[in-house]
Amino acid sequence: MLKNHIRLFLRNISRDKSTFFINLVGLSSSLTCVLLVFLWVKDEVVKDQFHANKEQLYQVFRHVPNGQGSLNTYQSNSSLMLTTLQQEVPEVEQAVAVFRINGNAMLQTEDKKLASTGFFASEDYFKLFSFPLLAGDMNTVLRDVNSVVISKEMAENLFESEGFPVGKSLIIKNGEDGLEDVFTINGIFEIPKNSSQDFDFVLSYKKFLQNRDINDIHWGSNSSSMYALLKTGVGIESFNSKIEDLIKKKDSENQASVFFGLYADNYLKNRFVNGKKSGGRITYVILLSIVALFILIIACINFMNLSTAKATKRIKEIGVKKVVGAEKSSLIFQFLTESVLLACFSMIVAYAMVALILPWFSNITGKQLEFPFSISLILVIAGIAVVTGLISGSYPAFYLTKFKAISVLKGKLPTSSGDHVIRKGLVIFQFSISILLIVAVSIIYMQLDFIQSKNLGYNKDNIITIERQDGLVNNMETFLEEARMIPGVVNASYMQGDMTNFSNSSSNHRWPGQSEESKKFTFRHAHVGPDFIETMGIEMKEGRSYINEVPNNNSKIILNETAVELMGLENPIGTVIDMRGPNREIIGVVKDFNIQSLYDEITPMALVCRSEWISTLLVKIKAGEEKKTIAALTQLFEKFNPGLPFDFDFLDAQYEQLYLSEQRVASLSKYLAGLAILISCLGLFGLVTFTAQLRKKEVSIRKVLGQTTSQAFMMLSSEFVKLVMAAMVITLPIAYLMANDWLSDFAYRIPLRIWYFLGAGCTALIIAMFTVAGQSLMAAKSSPANALRQE
Amino acid sequence: MLLQLKNIFKWVNSGGQRIFLLKDINFEVSEGEFISIMGPSGSGKSTLLNVIGMLDGFDEGEYHFLDESVHSLKEKHRSNLYKEYIGFVFQSYHLLDDLTVKENLEMPLLYKKYSSSERKAKVADMLDRFNIVGKKDLFPAQLSGGQQQLVGIARALISNPKLILADEPTGNLNSKQGEEIMELFKKLNDEGVTIIQVTHSEKNAAYGSRVINLLDGRMI
Ligand SMILES: Nc1ncnc2c1ncn2[C@@H]1O[C@H](COP(=O)(O)OP(=O)(O)OP(=O)(O)O)[C@@H](O)[C@H]1O
Ligand SMILES: [Mg+2]
Repeated sequence: MLKNHIRLFLRNISRDKSTFFINLVGLSSSLTCVLLVFLWVKDEVVKDQFHANKEQLYQVFRHVPNGQGSLNTYQSNSSLMLTTLQQEVPEVEQAVAVFRINGNAMLQTEDKKLASTGFFASEDYFKLFSFPLLAGDMNTVLRDVNSVVISKEMAENLFESEGFPVGKSLIIKNGEDGLEDVFTINGIFEIPKNSSQDFDFVLSYKKFLQNRDINDIHWGSNSSSMYALLKTGVGIESFNSKIEDLIKKKDSENQASVFFGLYADNYLKNRFVNGKKSGGRITYVILLSIVALFILIIACINFMNLSTAKATKRIKEIGVKKVVGAEKSSLIFQFLTESVLLACFSMIVAYAMVALILPWFSNITGKQLEFPFSISLILVIAGIAVVTGLISGSYPAFYLTKFKAISVLKGKLPTSSGDHVIRKGLVIFQFSISILLIVAVSIIYMQLDFIQSKNLGYNKDNIITIERQDGLVNNMETFLEEARMIPGVVNASYMQGDMTNFSNSSSNHRWPGQSEESKKFTFRHAHVGPDFIETMGIEMKEGRSYINEVPNNNSKIILNETAVELMGLENPIGTVIDMRGPNREIIGVVKDFNIQSLYDEITPMALVCRSEWISTLLVKIKAGEEKKTIAALTQLFEKFNPGLPFDFDFLDAQYEQLYLSEQRVASLSKYLAGLAILISCLGLFGLVTFTAQLRKKEVSIRKVLGQTTSQAFMMLSSEFVKLVMAAMVITLPIAYLMANDWLSDFAYRIPLRIWYFLGAGCTALIIAMFTVAGQSLMAAKSSPANALRQE
Repeated sequence: MLLQLKNIFKWVNSGGQRIFLLKDINFEVSEGEFISIMGPSGSGKSTLLNVIGMLDGFDEGEYHFLDESVHSLKEKHRSNLYKEYIGFVFQSYHLLDDLTVKENLEMPLLYKKYSSSERKAKVADMLDRFNIVGKKDLFPAQLSGGQQQLVGIARALISNPKLILADEPTGNLNSKQGEEIMELFKKLNDEGVTIIQVTHSEKNAAYGSRVINLLDGRMI
């Protein structure tokens, strides 16, 4: 039986190649997109799932009221948290503290020097996290103060000799943290491909504590990340409510509450809104999966519509088979077999396509995707193909087999208006999805463009950022002085952190006339150079900047507008703030400028003129003289860092990196929207071709009776154009709501204008019109004598 | 007795009016008969044949087929009955264009419980019996009308039905081809197959043993 079905399927293909082609192109391209999205989603959801402790491994977050009515979430904690967790919280089995070294550190052997990233971690790090140790004992690798564990790649790059360089020494230097010491390699680790973290070396947390000023260790100074392994059986909900006040109990002035979040969840659910994990990458994972599914459905609809539209061609076969004794079920089976075969065939094409374009896809998604040939993957793929076949075959199968044999053999297809309604509904659905995607893509692009061109309150153009490392650690001021003498350099300064990641914060400040409420304020807090405000082009609102100030004068502070407003200071200049330590006098107020991404509102900010903990050098250069100036800077850099490549970034490029995931999603959805409209039009083309053929005779008779070609054209094409217009009307309100929802995440967003939506709708309409026009015109222009003679 | 129709009425409702397609049809058919149904165009011949062949239902009356009451049978049961005992021959042959002669013959067997080797044997037997072995791999479009109708009849016969229903089997053929088909029917009838045919031709009707005349859905 199956053999016969297959034979008939093949003959049908050769008889109606264009329908087969439309279905094949539609199904295989949508399956390609399903497979690609599947690979992408799979890669996203397995991130960090390799940790053996993933069910029990938590990260410790702090929620701090931001004084604006909601909570800000921080992952940094005081280093005091480690012993507290280890000794005072019975539910915690093990805990580790991690201090991330800002930027790059220099790893040096006698003859090699490599910039690399890493962190300090307390003893149990490799017990909590399952980064495999190729050498070394996970219980002891981080025990000695001067121990270091390096990655396999680092080991290979630094030491060319065979075997692991355990026991050998390394010099590690980092400017910002004043680190410079000799370390002994105690172990080699490897980073699994599905790890969201990437790092080259790990030092002992003891070393970090050793280098810290004892005065800097208190509950208000948050520098480290904390991770804890909870005992099995501990309910996280009740544990979280129990642990909430941990910090407040230790430090009565501290406003932070503690929250444990599952570490393995952090990658996908990486955004916090008002203290709750909400969305992040998971949103895009879900969104893209839905879009891929919809594109597949659009292709399935093409199959359904073309099969039912062409029912007359198959209806005799069904009638005859029924007369000779075929039961409905066996006919349904036959049609499902055909659609499943088509889907499987399309899947094979899709498989080849995926193999072909995977490198390109990896590139636009910024992932290293692979297409492994495994049984389970093949089963998944086969499953998708079969389900696709069943979905697309279902409606035609039931539609075609429901007629009575006798009416079928009389050659008339009982045309119930219901079938037309379904077909029209399906076309409307296809175009609704397409229009929705077009709207989505254009809104995403416009918002990204808006963000990129928004006035940030500082001038990010022509600013070069240089990491403070190696030779710049001790000679930063000299370097900057000499840099300022280069003709193309407008100004130069330095800062703690960088302009796109400004995460240091301080709290518990006191000032005269402070309200109870404002005691809770957390300030973003950065050390900056005297020329910082001028170099960055930040405007002063009142008072003066740090220019000509000597760094490390602990008596002065500059705040931003928001801070002053929230503090309720009428005359800020001259007011003295107690910053738990030095008292500082406000000498100036800057107009608000944006740091971090535009998802977030501007927060209170304090700029302190200090040269400690500086990680970034900022050089403003003249527009138009970039090449010459950079060449000169390179020379200067080499003078201070012989043998080290001049590694710099443009600030505006760095800024774009903030929206990398949006940009990737945008470029992905661009292709998806294109595909959706293409497949929809392909289906429309098939339908039009077919109805034009069917109605040839009608057109001929009408023309004989005096209808003009243009009238005939209108008659043939208007039907489909109406459907696309209906799709527009249905979709636009939905699109509006969805766009509004997405944009509401941004603190700064584009206003929604009606023409964005009309534009998307019209785009779809125009494309559809072109699709319809050709075939309709051909039918409308055909000579009536020809068509009538054929009868 | 093979089948019996008692007071069969069939109607359609059109514009609030009841239009009768069959009115008070009564007759019996014994095994081995060769019956011709005649009447002017539109008199209900095809309708009656379809009712007998259980392809179409009726609104009133009783229909017994081999001791089964067709009017009270479930759809499933009825289709089993008809699958087993009835074969159809059409004026326009209704062969499947995409299948070869051999495959067209084999098709009815696919829906019954025959093994592949049994199917092969039966098809070979039929091809032999109708002298069309040489045509077995041709498609219907490559055959003449008479040859196509031969295949149509062979297909109707392949699962050994007791009753052949033929709606103007010679309608699309020239007179010589028509005669050959009628001779074939005669031969089959002699072998014991019951035949009911619709025809417009007195000459064809003469091959049969009895004629039922219809006018406006009524027997006369
Ligand atoms: N479903 C239906 N609805 C309405 N009228 C019908 C239906 N089926 C058949 N008829 C009518 O019933 C009458 C009998 O039709 P039928 O096909 O049985 O005629 P016939 O005797 O076979 O004619 P012909 O010799 O032309 O084949 C015709 O007038 C036809 O229009
Ligand atoms: Mg008739």
